[in-house]
Amino acid sequence: MDVLSVIFSQLLIGLYRGSIYWLIAAGLTLIFGVLRVVNFAQATLLVLGGYTAYAIYQATSNWVLALVMTPLLVGAIGLAIEVTLLKPIYKIDNTYQLLMTFAVVLILNDVTKVIWGKAPVSIPLPDMLKGSVKLSGFNISLYILIVILIGFLIFISVIYIINRTMWGLRVRAIWRKREIAEALGIKTTTLYSAVFFLGSLFSGLGGALMAMFSPMVPGLGDYLIVYAFIVTVIAGLGNLLGAYISSIIIGVLESVFTYYLPEIDLLLIYLIMAVVLLIKPQGIFGER
Amino acid sequence: MNWRVKQPETVLLFSVYILTALLPLTSDPYYIYLGALFMIISLFSISYNILFGNAGLLSFGHALFFAGGAYTYALFTINVLKDPLLGLFVSILISLLLSLVIGVLTLRHTKIYFSMLTLAFGMLFYALLIKWRDITGGSDGLSGLSRSGILINLSNPVARYYFIFLVFLVTSLFLYYIHRSQLGLLIKSLGVNEDYLPYTGHSVFKIRMLANVIAGTVAGTAGSLYAILNGAVTPDLAYWTTNAEPLVAALIGGPKYFVGPLLGSLIYVAITAYAAKIADLWQFVLGTILVALILGSRGGLIELVRRIWKRS
Repeated sequence: MDVLSVIFSQLLIGLYRGSIYWLIAAGLTLIFGVLRVVNFAQATLLVLGGYTAYAIYQATSNWVLALVMTPLLVGAIGLAIEVTLLKPIYKIDNTYQLLMTFAVVLILNDVTKVIWGKAPVSIPLPDMLKGSVKLSGFNISLYILIVILIGFLIFISVIYIINRTMWGLRVRAIWRKREIAEALGIKTTTLYSAVFFLGSLFSGLGGALMAMFSPMVPGLGDYLIVYAFIVTVIAGLGNLLGAYISSIIIGVLESVFTYYLPEIDLLLIYLIMAVVLLIKPQGIFGER
Repeated sequence: MNWRVKQPETVLLFSVYILTALLPLTSDPYYIYLGALFMIISLFSISYNILFGNAGLLSFGHALFFAGGAYTYALFTINVLKDPLLGLFVSILISLLLSLVIGVLTLRHTKIYFSMLTLAFGMLFYALLIKWRDITGGSDGLSGLSRSGILINLSNPVARYYFIFLVFLVTSLFLYYIHRSQLGLLIKSLGVNEDYLPYTGHSVFKIRMLANVIAGTVAGTAGSLYAILNGAVTPDLAYWTTNAEPLVAALIGGPKYFVGPLLGSLIYVAITAYAAKIADLWQFVLGTILVALILGSRGGLIELVRRIWKRS
């Protein structure tokens, strides 16, 4: 029983981590699929979201407001970045767009450090969410459950929007062949901005959710983005279904490794990434 | 290969040699340190630019070779034999082997897959340095490295400076020679259009591998010099963000020119020296420079100067 409950709680922590990775990977995948840009700033935007949520909570002591406002604010910041920095360079080599998002990482890292300092900050978990749920003898933290649920809901809605709506059809058209989509009268530049807004919004949501559970520190984004890369690389760049599944897998594997093999946990995660890339560069689920 | 003085790049290169050779005359220990740092960053950036600016490969794992060279020096002088010269030679040898192995594993992929794969191996190496605490010292790294030994003694900062200068001189001349040789042209053709390269009868993989081995070995050499200069190594050297250093230096100067990364490193080190006061804004400054260069002048400063030159 004891061993079982340990495994179960590690599994849940893994699902929580995986859900956070997914919220980064979702934006990364959408933006890569549509814009063909690998957005290095995706996790930095999540950290910015965590700090933004913290600031809103500090000012209003209202965590619901923080949770609702943060994604919109970070989405708006992402949109501003896309319009001012990326739009002028879409016509040139992809490498420069990647470098531009890297420059954004460097700038945002220091901006958050200057505004909020180097010390870790977090939002205290509201009493309402502190409880736990009993499920066939196991205690599950309510908050972890909520984060996992939100991650799953985002997954379902993204899949629905992309596969079932008119807007999603336009996105898929660009995804498949940009020139033809343009020839059919789809406004690619507006769609690019919309997708970048959506991707940043997911990051903002992830940041706000994470800030209530684990502290934000400067440079956290540099660390998280590597995990998001591992996830998207294993999934296959631009594959949403694969990104969700591999986020969960990596999250769970990471928490299992950290618990049972703390001496080599980091090594194993990077090894998995390297091996998948070597054997199947298009990812396990294939590129879309 | 010709050494025509008319070639502006040759003139610039030799001006840098003369200036760095004369720098210790200032007898200011801080400037001597910065000068040595400049030469090390230069080698690191020029080697990075062989892949980035010439072969068109964006690597996020080049720091692996730099850290590899630095740690080889540290481990060799601690565990095997105390001597800077032998330490340097062993580092160069290990870097050569390391770049061969990593090259075999990563070079079959291009574009974003190459970038991701080099990132994976770079971080794998970082994780190894962090986790193998007994040997590597974990996150503290290794310090108090020996700079004197049976063959040479580099305890004196000026002696250390000229040792680094000598390695810098020989290595950069070698790289300049390659840059202007047929091999250099072949490497550059990879960046322009690698589909056409096989028509010349050369194998794309082989040229890419040669570029990678040269770049990796020189980065390892620079890393070894870094260990000699600072007397300490830390695992941060292998962290993926370390790749920003040579990347930004190459972009500042101009990735299409041999002396581009060299000039970029000069500006980079100069900013570092002044930014000591604003250390918290260091990344901000770098990022802003990157944004300005990408939007304004993708050819770097050299391209900017040439554009202004032509207009007047």
